[in-house]
Amino acid sequence: MANKLAILWALVVLAVGVHQVRFWRSASLDTDVLALLPEDEQAPEVDAATRKLADDAGRQLVLLVGANDWPSAQKAADEATRVLSEASGLLEPAVVDTSTLDQAVEFYRPYRDRLLTPAQRQWLAKATPDELGGTALMKLYQPAGAQLTDWNADPLGLWQDWWQARAAETSARPRDGRMWLSGEGREWVLLMWKSKVSAFALGDGSRVTAAVERARSTVEAAVPGGRLVAAGVPLYAEAAAAQASWEMSTIGFGSLAAVLVLVWLTFRSLRPILLVGVSLTLGCAVALTVTALVFDRVHLLTLVFGSSLVGVAEDYGFHYFAARQGKAPSERGPVMRALLPGMVLALVTSVVAYLALGVAPFPGLRQMAVFSAAGLTAAFLTVVCWFPSLDTGALPITSFSERFSASITRWPRITSTPLWWGTGAVLAVLVAVGLWKLEPRDDLRQLQGAPPNLIADQRELGRLLGLPSPAQFFLVQGDSDEQVLAREAVLKTKLDALVAQKVFAGYRAVSDWLPSEAQQREDAALSARAEGLAVAAVSESTGEAPTRAAFSQEPLTLQHFLSGPAAAAIRQQWLGTLGKAQYSVLMLRGLNDPKVLPRLEEVAQGLEGVRWVDKTAEISGLLSRYRRIMGGLIVAGYLAVLLTLVARFGRQAWRAWVPSVLGTLLTLAIFGWAGAPLQLFTVLGLVLLLGMGVDYGIFLLEHPGDGSAWLAVALAGVSTLLSFGLLGLSATPALRSFGLAMLLGEVTIWILTPCFRLPPGKATH
Amino acid sequence: MKPFLVLTFALVSLSAHAADLVKDVRARLVDAPLVRGRFEQKKSVAGFKKPLVSKGDFLLARDQGVLWNTRTPFASTLTLTRKSLSAQQATGGAAYHLDSTKEPALAAVNELLFALLSGDVAALQKRFKVEGELVGDKGWKLELTPTDAGLARVFKHIHLEGDGYVRQVQLDESRGDSSVITFEQLAQTPPPDATEAERLGK
Repeated sequence: MANKLAILWALVVLAVGVHQVRFWRSASLDTDVLALLPEDEQAPEVDAATRKLADDAGRQLVLLVGANDWPSAQKAADEATRVLSEASGLLEPAVVDTSTLDQAVEFYRPYRDRLLTPAQRQWLAKATPDELGGTALMKLYQPAGAQLTDWNADPLGLWQDWWQARAAETSARPRDGRMWLSGEGREWVLLMWKSKVSAFALGDGSRVTAAVERARSTVEAAVPGGRLVAAGVPLYAEAAAAQASWEMSTIGFGSLAAVLVLVWLTFRSLRPILLVGVSLTLGCAVALTVTALVFDRVHLLTLVFGSSLVGVAEDYGFHYFAARQGKAPSERGPVMRALLPGMVLALVTSVVAYLALGVAPFPGLRQMAVFSAAGLTAAFLTVVCWFPSLDTGALPITSFSERFSASITRWPRITSTPLWWGTGAVLAVLVAVGLWKLEPRDDLRQLQGAPPNLIADQRELGRLLGLPSPAQFFLVQGDSDEQVLAREAVLKTKLDALVAQKVFAGYRAVSDWLPSEAQQREDAALSARAEGLAVAAVSESTGEAPTRAAFSQEPLTLQHFLSGPAAAAIRQQWLGTLGKAQYSVLMLRGLNDPKVLPRLEEVAQGLEGVRWVDKTAEISGLLSRYRRIMGGLIVAGYLAVLLTLVARFGRQAWRAWVPSVLGTLLTLAIFGWAGAPLQLFTVLGLVLLLGMGVDYGIFLLEHPGDGSAWLAVALAGVSTLLSFGLLGLSATPALRSFGLAMLLGEVTIWILTPCFRLPPGKATH
Repeated sequence: MKPFLVLTFALVSLSAHAADLVKDVRARLVDAPLVRGRFEQKKSVAGFKKPLVSKGDFLLARDQGVLWNTRTPFASTLTLTRKSLSAQQATGGAAYHLDSTKEPALAAVNELLFALLSGDVAALQKRFKVEGELVGDKGWKLELTPTDAGLARVFKHIHLEGDGYVRQVQLDESRGDSSVITFEQLAQTPPPDATEAERLGK
């Protein structure tokens, strides 16, 4: 039976091995913070919108090169371009081509009469024939004609304004063959580059970042006041990857080294080191394979979090060797059988705790949960199925483990004395005050571990270029594209009032580039009347007979627009059909003050098919909601664990239970005293603590008076501490607070558990 | 409106052109902080058989701006300053105003214009290929071909003729229309009167 299991597990391991080879060859790792964010169950279209907006920026690199004056800025831009071109295997210029503009002008030319700005609509509706004729004459006699059309195709010179309104969507303007803007005391050149590398793998090095940094120092040296501001997903991805590799090796190798040193100290034999090493390796490999199979892509943060698994998964191996030490090799089977109930119980509580992390709908958390649960199970199976067969030789008791095992008898034990009651009372007061001081915080920023300089650059770039906010927007829905465009127009009239009050700078909407067909018909009629009058006035005044040019009889349709050259700028805001309806996104520029958000939310109220989306607020709300839910889950969890423990240990169950509860409360109190906020991720750390802390109590109760159980618990405690302590070094605030909660909780539980052990000579069953 | 800006800076920027020719032409031009005079413009426009003729006067004040007053066949004014561009028909009604803080391109052209007035040679040659010849003792002719893509969209060529002052400008537009503007009665006085000063201050 045991052999069959061993062979079966070997087959599974083989399959995992094959998968691992394939996985690392085509590593599909996620670095995008968005991938960690929860999906919106109620509104998949909001998700679709967020993701489409993010995908669009995928490989783009946007750079602003600035200097005190325009000639210096141009020189600096040339220098930056030269340096970036050196990395030609990595980067290519995304040409801001002026021919695209020419193509767009040609594309719109037949529809010129249907494209009016709101101000023009107002003016044309009330302009007198005299006014119209006068304007047309003035344009006609100007020293040079209209720039975009012949005079008779735009006698009132309307089109220029329409294009100007479109150009106002960004603050960059063509100047001397470059894209130029002026702001914050400098003249700037806009440069657009694209990363050639799409797939991203660990250990690639930060090559794009290095190229940008070289360009930055060149620019700063080249001209006085030289400055380069860069932003783009490749930079974030590289920063995340570099950080993750560093963290994974620190946490992974740090805890691995610690575990192996502990094993060596305790057993002084190579075999336990090798076998524990094997169980950990298999644990991690299976974890990765299962995660990759369950989810399509594995997120980097999962790997970072997963490397703390090393410090948890070694428990089973420790228990086995601690129990087996000093016994004859023939007793391997009975030793394992005696350990099994306790180990299974410990595994179940841990796996349940890990899986409980996945209750919150954050895909990243779910990955971490699956990864850890699978890894733990695999390490457990390796120990149970293989260790008895592979661990053949003798394993004498070392003096270290002998001394350590005996130390349990000297550990303080809680008894009903005034001293203990007094200590308890003081502790209770400290905990109560600490809990009272504890403050919750549900800030989205806890998910963001990007280096501050990248975030600062991104902000500056957004400010200078007037980029729209990707986190706050209006989602417009309709039964047909015509209805969506018409609803956008209604929304825009409301927004125009806010723009006029300078609540925000402006917006970008598909209907700016493609008015609804009804609007097109109205505008065409309006311009036909006004321009007819204008041309008539001109022919009267000049004595000639000019005629107004002919335009397309058909409206510009969505299909035609999307396939044309003009759609490039706005295409990602047209979501198309999702489910039964059509959707578009209306984006806002210059949204710098969070205080105005409620006013925007108000705008959407009462407008049919218009929905205000505030991703930041939504996610903060979600974080807060799940912080409460998980908090409730912890309470329920502790009750369930208590019942399980009672079922096995009867009246002594509290001895395994109380240390974990106390550990949790103390951790919270320490957070409160230290002024650290209570976040969802702190709470999640406590959920995990619930699953793992109880283990120590279980082992001590299972094997009362057995020094080897204490030895195993001690070893397990130290290595777990190290793993989560190292996780506390992570640059991602969420992982850091998770690690800290685990670290504090583990230390207190580890110290407290032996205090609650059974009195000598007493057994639970 | 933008073509007009281009014309204006072409007019005032003769002090800055290519190589030796530029130097020679510059030497022949009067270095005047203020020029005023009359103009006659003949414009050929597609759809019109005869050239459209307009006449008026103008004032060019270095570092301040340009006033362009059409008198016939109807009265209208155009004012270009550091801060804005505005046009007005004398009989009221038709008018427009562009603010350079709202339309940065205008600021760019203005900035260039004023930079050129102060003798910044490099800028114009970045936008035009400059060819030409000296005529007689005092005269000169220049032909400018845009090298800048934005300008090339508007003009095929710009021809300039003059002596101490610019006497004639011919604009050949990319879309086929063309204008010939001749200047006369050019003078450096009188200084701007109150109305003109007010317009230049806008």
